[in-house]
Amino acid sequence: MSSVLYQSVVKNYGALNVLRSLDLAVPDHMFLALLGPSGCGKTTALRILAGLDMPSAGKLFIGERDVTRLQPRDRDIAMVFQSYALYPQMTVGENIGYPLWIRGMPDAERRAKIDEVAAVLEIGHLLDRRPRQLSGGQRQRVALARAIVRDPAAFLMDEPLSNLDARLRLTMRGEIKRLCQRLGATTLYVTHDQVEALTMADFVAVMHGGELQQMAPPADIYDRPANRFVATFVGNPPMNILPVTLAEQGIAIGGTPVAIPAARLAACRAAQVVEIGLRPEDMSVSVPGAPNALPGEIYVVEPMGNETLVNVRLGGGNVSVRAGRDFRGAVGANIAVTFDVSNACFFNSAGLTAVHRVNSDGE
Amino acid sequence: MANSGTQSRKYRLQGAGLDLALPYLMLAPGLLIVLGVLVYPLWDGLRASTKVYRYGSVVADVGMQNYIKLWSDPQFLNSLWVTVEFVALSVTFEAILGFALALFCLREFRGIRLLRTILIIPMVITPVVVAIVFRLIYASDAGMLTAISEWMGGGQVQILGSPVKAFIGLVVLDVWEWTPLMFLILLAGLQSLPHEPFEAARVDGAGNWRVFADLTFPMMRPVLAIAIVLRTIDAFGTFDQVFVLTRGGPGEATRLVSIYGYDTAFKFQQTGYAAALFVTIGLVVLALAFSAVRLLRRVDAS
Ligand SMILES: Nc1ncnc2c1ncn2[C@@H]1O[C@H](COP(=O)(O)OP(=O)(O)O)[C@@H](O)[C@H]1O
Ligand SMILES: [Mg+2]
Repeated sequence: MSSVLYQSVVKNYGALNVLRSLDLAVPDHMFLALLGPSGCGKTTALRILAGLDMPSAGKLFIGERDVTRLQPRDRDIAMVFQSYALYPQMTVGENIGYPLWIRGMPDAERRAKIDEVAAVLEIGHLLDRRPRQLSGGQRQRVALARAIVRDPAAFLMDEPLSNLDARLRLTMRGEIKRLCQRLGATTLYVTHDQVEALTMADFVAVMHGGELQQMAPPADIYDRPANRFVATFVGNPPMNILPVTLAEQGIAIGGTPVAIPAARLAACRAAQVVEIGLRPEDMSVSVPGAPNALPGEIYVVEPMGNETLVNVRLGGGNVSVRAGRDFRGAVGANIAVTFDVSNACFFNSAGLTAVHRVNSDGE
Repeated sequence: MANSGTQSRKYRLQGAGLDLALPYLMLAPGLLIVLGVLVYPLWDGLRASTKVYRYGSVVADVGMQNYIKLWSDPQFLNSLWVTVEFVALSVTFEAILGFALALFCLREFRGIRLLRTILIIPMVITPVVVAIVFRLIYASDAGMLTAISEWMGGGQVQILGSPVKAFIGLVVLDVWEWTPLMFLILLAGLQSLPHEPFEAARVDGAGNWRVFADLTFPMMRPVLAIAIVLRTIDAFGTFDQVFVLTRGGPGEATRLVSIYGYDTAFKFQQTGYAAALFVTIGLVVLALAFSAVRLLRRVDAS
C-alpha cells in the first residue's frame, strides 16, 4: 500500500478543460471517495492515475514514485471498472487469477490465492463459469476479487455499484467498506452518490467542474461545507439556502427579523454574508406568530414513513423541513418554521462559507 | 351504368378465390426467375452429370459412372490437390496479413481514413483486370519484374514459365486481391469489441503481446472463423484470374478444379463428366461450410 498524490494535474480535451489543476493527497491506507455530479471529471481523474489517459500537465505520485509517464502495468494499481470489464473468454477463476498469472506466479500458489479471495467474496462456487453466465451482482464480486487478489499500491474504483439494483447496492456498499477496512488498502472510490461517499469513506473529496471543492471527513463535509456547492450537493434533501440581510441588531430573512448572538452577528457582518444555509433537520415547523419564526405556507407534504418532509414557501424562497411522522397539514395552510441560528452557516457573495455552524461541542 | 360496372368488378375482386391467390400471383414473377436461373440449371446440371455427351448430344445414360470415374482420374485428383494447396496458402496469408493490417488500422493517427480506403481498393477491381495487370508484371520479356531486374543489372525474370513460381505468383495475386476483404471484416470485428476489458488487462499488468494473445485473439475467434470460411468457399471457385494469368499452366501447375472442369467441358467436350465434377466440388464446398458453421457454434458455446 502507498499514498497517492495528484500534483497540479490538468486535463484538456481540445478546448474542454476537464480537470483544472487538481491537487489531491491521499495518505497511505485511506479510503477516499471522489464525489461529484456526473461530468465533473471524476472518471478522468481516476483514469489518469491508472495511466489509461495522460494528463495535459501536472504530476502523479504513487508512494515516492513519480508515475506520470509510466505505463498502466508499471504503476502497481488495481482497478474496478463501472462496467466490471471482465474478460469474456475466460472463466471466473481465470479472470481473478489473471493479474497473478501475468506476473508469472506458479500455478499452485495462484490457485490457492484465487480460492482464498473467492471465499472472501463468496464466489467459490462460480469459478468455472464465464462472465456472461453471471448476474450483475456476481460480476461485481468477480471484478472486486480480481482487484484484491494482488496486493497493489492502491485500489481505484469507478462507480462500482452504479449498475446494481438498489437493494444489492446497499449490501455491496457495506461489503466493500468492510473489505477495504480489512485490507487497509489505499482506495480511490469514485461516485456521484453522496450517500455512498458519506457512508463508506474516511475522507470525501468533492469535485465540481473539474475542480476540487473540499476534502474532509464525511462529518465535516456534511456539517462544515466549504462552499455553497458542497452544502447543496451533499445532503438529501439538500441544505436550504435563503438570502439574508444584515441589520443593526440582527439579521432578517425575507423581511422577518431573526435574533442572533452578538459574536455571530459580528462575524457575519465582518464577512459580509449574503445567504444563510440550514439543513432540513435543523429546522422545525411551528405556528405562525411564534418568536423568531419565519411565516410561510405549506407547498407540499411528503410522508417518508419514519418522518415527514414539509416543503414550505417562505418570503425568500422554498425550504424543506423535516417534521415528525405524525405531521398533518393541508397544502396552502399557513405555517411557520423555526431554527436555532447556531446551526446555520452563512455564505458570502463569492459562495464560500464565511461563518460555519457552531459545533455541538460548542466551538 | 358505368357505375354499376365498376361496382360489380370491385365485388368480384374481393371474392374469396382471389384473396387466396393474390399472394402467389404477386410472388410468381420472382419465383419464376429463381426457378429459371437457379433451380433449373442446377437440376439440368445434375441430370447432365449422369450422361455421356458427344458433340453436344447425349449418347449414353451412365448413372453414377461419371462420379466414380472422377476418383480414379489422376488429372482431377491433381487439380483437386492444387486447389487445396492454393486455397490453404492464400487464405492463410490473407488471414494473417488482414489481421495485422486491421490491428494496425485500429489506432487513430493522421491519414488513417485515407489509408483504410486505399487498403480496400484491390478488392473492388474486377478480377480479370487484376489478372491482366499481374500478367504485365510477371511477363518475362517486357514485364515489370524483368524491367526492375535488368535495371539492377540482372537478367529476365521467369515467373509464369516455371511451375513453382507460377503457382506462387497466383497465390500472390490472390493474396493481393483478397486480403482487403479479410482486413475489412476483421477491422469491423475489432472495432465492435468492448474496450473496457482491454483497459482492465493493461492495468492488471499485460503488455501488448499478452493483451493480443489473451484478449484480442480469443475474442476475435468467431469473426476470424467466419472470415476464413467465407474466403475459403470463395477461393475454391477461383477461375477468372487463373484463366487470364496461366490457363492452368505451365503443365498442370496452376490447374485448379475450376480450370480442369472448364477444360473438360469446353476443350474436351465431356459435358457430362464436367457436370459431375462441378457437382462434386459443390458438395465438397457445402460440406466444408457446414463443418465450419458447426465449428463456429462450438466455439460460440464454449
Ligand atoms: N475521451 C474524451 N474526449 C473528450 N471529452 C471527454 C473524454 N472523456 C471525458 N470527456 C469529457 O470530460 C468530462 C468529464 O468526464 P468524466 O471524467 O467521465 O466525468 P465523470 O466521471 O465525473 O462523470 C465530460 O464532460 C466528458 O464529456
Ligand atoms: Mg464517470
